[in-house]
Amino acid sequence: MSGLRSILARRELLWNLTARELKQRYKGSALGFLWSVLTPLFMAAIYVVFLRLLARGVPMQDILIGVFAWQYTTQCVMGGMTCVTGNANLVKKVAFPREILPLAQVCANGIGYALSLLVQFPVLAFLLWRSPEAGFAATWPLFVFWVVWQTIFNLGLAALVGALNVQFRDTQHLVGVLLSAWFFMSPVMYNMEFAAGIAQQWPWALDLLYANPMAVILNGYRDALLTNSRVGLPPAAWIGFALVPVMLAAGLGLYRRLQKNFADLL
Amino acid sequence: MNAIEAVNLGKCYTRKGLGAPTLFGALTGGLRGKNEPFWCLRNADFEIPAGRTIGVIGPNGSGKSSLLGLTAGTITPTEGHVRTHGRISSLLELGAGFHPDLSGRENVFLNAALLGIPREDVKKKFDRIVDFAELREFIDMPVKHYSSGMYVRLGFSVAVEVDPDILLIDEVLAVGDIAFQLKCLDRIRDFQKRGKTLLFVSHALQTVEEFCHEAFLIHHGRLVERGDPGDVILKFVRAYMGEGGGLYTQEFGTRAVEFGSVHLLDADGKDAATFETGGALTVEIPYVAHRRIEKPVFGFSLKTGNGMYVHGSNTQIAGHDIPFIEGEGVLHLDLSPLRLMHGNYFLSLAVHSWDHAEQFHRREDWWPFAVRNPGDDLGVFRLDSRWSTPV
Repeated sequence: MSGLRSILARRELLWNLTARELKQRYKGSALGFLWSVLTPLFMAAIYVVFLRLLARGVPMQDILIGVFAWQYTTQCVMGGMTCVTGNANLVKKVAFPREILPLAQVCANGIGYALSLLVQFPVLAFLLWRSPEAGFAATWPLFVFWVVWQTIFNLGLAALVGALNVQFRDTQHLVGVLLSAWFFMSPVMYNMEFAAGIAQQWPWALDLLYANPMAVILNGYRDALLTNSRVGLPPAAWIGFALVPVMLAAGLGLYRRLQKNFADLL
Repeated sequence: MNAIEAVNLGKCYTRKGLGAPTLFGALTGGLRGKNEPFWCLRNADFEIPAGRTIGVIGPNGSGKSSLLGLTAGTITPTEGHVRTHGRISSLLELGAGFHPDLSGRENVFLNAALLGIPREDVKKKFDRIVDFAELREFIDMPVKHYSSGMYVRLGFSVAVEVDPDILLIDEVLAVGDIAFQLKCLDRIRDFQKRGKTLLFVSHALQTVEEFCHEAFLIHHGRLVERGDPGDVILKFVRAYMGEGGGLYTQEFGTRAVEFGSVHLLDADGKDAATFETGGALTVEIPYVAHRRIEKPVFGFSLKTGNGMYVHGSNTQIAGHDIPFIEGEGVLHLDLSPLRLMHGNYFLSLAVHSWDHAEQFHRREDWWPFAVRNPGDDLGVFRLDSRWSTPV
């Protein structure tokens, strides 16, 4: 609780670091902010073409939602990983609540995600207008809830990898591999319908998929926005749902435990 | 009220280092032998009343910067604790937290936020910060295009203009050109006048003596001495730089003649370490000549604590011919009236052959001593000066 208060007291620093993060990300590149929209759009296009080639149809709008949301989490993980090591100078020479570092990362990426949604929604609207079976669901407040839920999850992840990377520099290599594996284990470029088709022989694999917090979040987004998405929260999905606050507690807990050595290890 | 209180403060590192750790290292750590602990600071107990200026001195690697880091809160103590009262601004490194891609203006706000200054306050002080740093025309330029001098000037400006209660300075007063350095020192004096607390680490002993109410001497991670800056500096110089310390001293020669235990004597002929400007200073130089030496030459030189060569001469130049020496003997060098001004000095002695071909013994910077000026005149050297009004 005292940690929360000290962060609130330094909210100007949080805002400054967030602004710095955003500015440095887009300064010096001609397209600037456009990249954070173009990248997921290109990725979505690639997945659609790739899946068509495999003659497996996944609706484009499902992929679009998945790719944008997935980018939010990967950016938080990658940014969180270097949030302490990349600010070594700061950590060694200035005293401030260290939790602000991953928090600023997540804030910056959250703002980036919110802005990218301004592009995602019109594209989505266009796709749904053309789609015969899917339409815009009227449950968009739920969408906001899932954004918050994903942000909580991302903060836990960012703090976890950020602190681990100070302790063990192996983290960055390991995380790259784990992120790739996790990408395929989450319904980013496919949806649950598609996964259920594949997992007919192994129903436990589908349960495992539901227990993945990222799957719960992505399904939540799709349920909230698409009229034809009805995944809901099957029993196994409650595990994935509950893992989100667990991740936050574990990530921040570990970060707090390790932070006293940050200046010595950098 | 105390601004800073430390109780049994200590920081321990391991000799192999905690740096660049890997998972492999952690897993195999147990197999690779014990990691020796290394205390860079231990058992430091002190309290600094508000409004005092404390200089921290000591040899390289003695734990001075760790002390500052612990006080600033960037390093977590291994044992004990340190408490501070009031807002701290630290000049541990100027411009720490500057981001190269951001403009000077953006960095001022970022840096101030790091120091915990509300944005409104920074806005009010922004002009002063920029003017002090003399960077008005460059303030909207990304700091990566700044010269190193501009960079540290801006860092210094932010740190001092944000009006902290406690200012920690680590060897960063030598910023920019002479003009800016004087401005910085002015600002530090201004700080003292307003009753702020300063803790600063420096190797510039003269600066410590000039600015501080009190000096801390740290050696091998221990706070070994604290008190009047002049006394502490002299102890430091004697213990770690002069005879026996061997840190900066050098010794040469064939040793056909050797110096014995040299004493610096005051007006009463007593061994002393501190002398007065205008007073007496006699150097008693016992020697042993291991063989008969015809026409030896004894010489001396004086340097300031900062290494400036003040004066040097020898018996040849002075016309004091010594026909020969053999066995033990004593020579006196009289420097009265002493023309040196307030500060720390090093005495070097040498003895060599008449034609300078053979150096018998030379001890460089071997004997440190201090000079106090009871008068009000200033500078490094007292010249014979008289005023007169021509009729």
